[in-house]
Amino acid sequence: MAFVQKPQVYKSAINTVELGAGDRKIALGGATVYPLYSFDAPIENAPKIGVEISDLGLEGAPKAMLDYYGDCKTIAEVAKKAAAMPGADFVCLRFDGAEPGEGERTVEDCVKIAKEVAAAIDIPLVIAGCKNSQKDAQIFEKVAEALTGRNVLFLSAKEENHKTVGASVGLAYSQKVGAESSVDINLAKQLNVLLTQLGVAKENIIMNLGSAAAGYGFEYVASTIERVKLAALAQGDAMLQMPVVTPVASETWSVKEALISEDDMPEWGNQEQRGIQMEIVTAAACLAAGSDAVILKHPASVATISAMVAALM
Amino acid sequence: MFKITFKLSGGGDRTVLAAPSQNLLDVARSAGVSIDAPCGGSGNCGKCRVKLLEGELDCEKSRHIDREEYESGWRLACVSRVVGDAIIEIPAEATAYQDSLSSDFTARKRDFGGIIEMQKKLSEAGIGFLRAFKTIIVELDEPTLEDTMPDNERLSRYLYDKYKPDYVGIPFYVLKKLPEVLRENNFRIKCLIEHSRSRLTIFEVLPPDAEVFPCGIAIDIGTTSVSAVLVDLERGKMLSGVSAANQQIRYGADVIHRIVESTRPGGREALQRAVVQETINPIIRHMCKEAKVPPSAVCRLSVASNTTMNHLFAGVYADPIRTEPYVPAFFETRPIPAVMVGVEANNNARIIITPNIGSYVGGDITAGVLVTQMWDSPEMTLFVDLGTNGELVFGNSDFMMACACSAGPAFEGGEIICGMRAANGAIDEVKIDGETMEPTIKVIGDEGQKPMGICGSGLIDAISELYSCGIINSRGQFVREGRRIRRDKDGAARFILVDREETATGRDIFLTEVDIDNFIRAKAAIFSAIRTMLSSLSMDVSVIDRVIVAGGIGSGINIENAIKIGMLPNIPIEKYSYIGNSSLAGSYMSLMSREAYDQTLEIARGMTYLELSVVPGYMEEFVAACFIPHTDESLFPTSGE
Repeated sequence: MAFVQKPQVYKSAINTVELGAGDRKIALGGATVYPLYSFDAPIENAPKIGVEISDLGLEGAPKAMLDYYGDCKTIAEVAKKAAAMPGADFVCLRFDGAEPGEGERTVEDCVKIAKEVAAAIDIPLVIAGCKNSQKDAQIFEKVAEALTGRNVLFLSAKEENHKTVGASVGLAYSQKVGAESSVDINLAKQLNVLLTQLGVAKENIIMNLGSAAAGYGFEYVASTIERVKLAALAQGDAMLQMPVVTPVASETWSVKEALISEDDMPEWGNQEQRGIQMEIVTAAACLAAGSDAVILKHPASVATISAMVAALM
Repeated sequence: MFKITFKLSGGGDRTVLAAPSQNLLDVARSAGVSIDAPCGGSGNCGKCRVKLLEGELDCEKSRHIDREEYESGWRLACVSRVVGDAIIEIPAEATAYQDSLSSDFTARKRDFGGIIEMQKKLSEAGIGFLRAFKTIIVELDEPTLEDTMPDNERLSRYLYDKYKPDYVGIPFYVLKKLPEVLRENNFRIKCLIEHSRSRLTIFEVLPPDAEVFPCGIAIDIGTTSVSAVLVDLERGKMLSGVSAANQQIRYGADVIHRIVESTRPGGREALQRAVVQETINPIIRHMCKEAKVPPSAVCRLSVASNTTMNHLFAGVYADPIRTEPYVPAFFETRPIPAVMVGVEANNNARIIITPNIGSYVGGDITAGVLVTQMWDSPEMTLFVDLGTNGELVFGNSDFMMACACSAGPAFEGGEIICGMRAANGAIDEVKIDGETMEPTIKVIGDEGQKPMGICGSGLIDAISELYSCGIINSRGQFVREGRRIRRDKDGAARFILVDREETATGRDIFLTEVDIDNFIRAKAAIFSAIRTMLSSLSMDVSVIDRVIVAGGIGSGINIENAIKIGMLPNIPIEKYSYIGNSSLAGSYMSLMSREAYDQTLEIARGMTYLELSVVPGYMEEFVAACFIPHTDESLFPTSGE
């Protein structure tokens, strides 16, 4: 008997959220089928790929990456080059240097850098903070003000700073709010409820459900993303229908597979290749679980993942 | 050695010698000064505030004491060490948690009526209440040279003839006083006896005109509070009732801390002393004094308590309760002689222990289930006992399932900075005006009683009102500003319920975000346990025919508010009832009726125990419930209206 396909198309959909402005703006979400199930129904917006750059520059970056960026001197040049990376849909600027401590970058400096980066690129921009929620709230407020109209996504509002971040980024400057929770479907939903109670429109929220490198508790990440998608589509839970963006590079480049040199561990092979592989497998798994965008940094990973997405859509 | 003097708030000084660098909390304990330390003296709860009047203490800085307070002498006792002579003031609120026992009389009187009502219903269900204890007058022939029968035989022969038992028991201590009592009263004496079935036992011999009758005491030993009633066993009349703090509190707020303390050298004795000598015996003395009977007239006692509490009460090694595979020394035990645990009562008195169900579901629940009569009804009943350990029983006459969840001491005022037990001075009802944010409160006690803190039922009201007025969000964070909301320099906010000018302590009564968070965890523990238990039976809340809420958390509980904050399931309010301290009521039934006690055995044996920690998904249910009212708002369609 011939196989008869029964498409699983849901009545509910993931919210469509636009990032950026002008011709190069992109849209995340909109799907009515399971992640990458383009055989069930066309997926309007293919998963997107962001390229991460740091305010600290290229210090410590692997060799092939340095080769790609060549002789970029300023952050604006780096941003421009990142935006030009084949497969890149948006640029993510991370303020690693703003973390409170000796020589921390001031909020004013952050604003200056954000403006330079924004001026250098025409694709959408995502701003990621340091690891301090209080400092993040201050940076996000000022950067959101400075980049009014660019429709920037801020990563992230967490439970402890969601009031200030939601009010400034989401309400005052109408930018996009990233809602970050730590790998728990209930906490993710609670934060979305709090942000919407605050008055942030749910169409302006994107979730960061937390992430981990493959092999580092990643099964929790994958199952959380999957269950969020299931609740959004099958149960029509409006508080979980926001698209999901998963920062991958910040996780995978700090685990031992990416950090231990070939001299120390010759049987593991080339160090940079290992880092790239970690980034690729993690990103691929996130997309399969349901991420609507991943943030990577190595040109080789970006090329591979964008080829994968293109092949599946 | 240094001299440390404690000045008590109620007046009176106590001076003891202390070794250098001895912990101040320990020094206070050795002086018999009880200072609250629900956290076990780890510096976390901030309850053990004392004021240094003279001298010096080596004291760690604490977030519970700001700089201004520190400079005026406030210290936390648990993080203070002795470095020289000192005079220390113990303010009322440092012992508020353990409060004196006399204060609760009026509040408890009302509970008596409830117990009598429950007794009536149990009788209707076929539980017999026979009165086996009696006072009798015995008139013996005086011995002569011709009639040389010894005293004890003379007495027992009289009793065999008159009452026809198979056996007459004269305990040794009765024998010891018998010759004198007989001769002083010309062989006409009064006896307190128990005559059940074929057995007659003499508990006391007295002059014929002594105004003494056989009494019984039913006790509920809670982790935080101990309650008791004194009963005239001959006439079945309640004479007095008291509730007081369990003095074990200074060894920690929850059962785990207590068990750990009990495993230290001398710890088991210390814990037993705290609950028997320092808690139950004063209660017994107090009640006996009120009823004008001597403690030796107390012929039978009954104790209902959680498994840890009855082990520590009996002085039985309790550590296995805490460690895998969580096996206690006993579920059921024969009545324990009162003299062997040091309880002040008749020398022949025995203590009935209501049977335990599991390591974390104890005799207090068995007792509670007895009085709910859910074992005798086809209605699907959910029984919720709100305490430091929240316990749930679900079922009907066909089956019953029990589980326990660790709610923490929040319902009893613990882990809440201004929290206290439901004693005089506790705020037990709160309303807040949505416009002005001005609260209206009700305080337990006589008219004019100034508030000292807030108890469980007050907390439920306050948090529900704060949420309804949009002052806090679903996460319990403050989202409105106003006169009542104050922030410290770190931005941490508190809601001022009562200004310091109007309190009994001279300090503000307030709720912080941390307090609210602790409470949300407690309510989430209860709600997620309900959901998990029902879903383990493939049921949901719609199958519940009635919910019976118990626990000594206040003068009652506003069910509507409890539903609004997502603590209890959103089912019609008519299905709910509140029965107060069901453990005490059940303990009373076991005291008064052998058949009731037999029924508790049957309840305990037939109960299925569900260990929540091994149920997959319980943690997730818990996280989902840590939100007002709940992460899944469809469970609470009427909340927020």
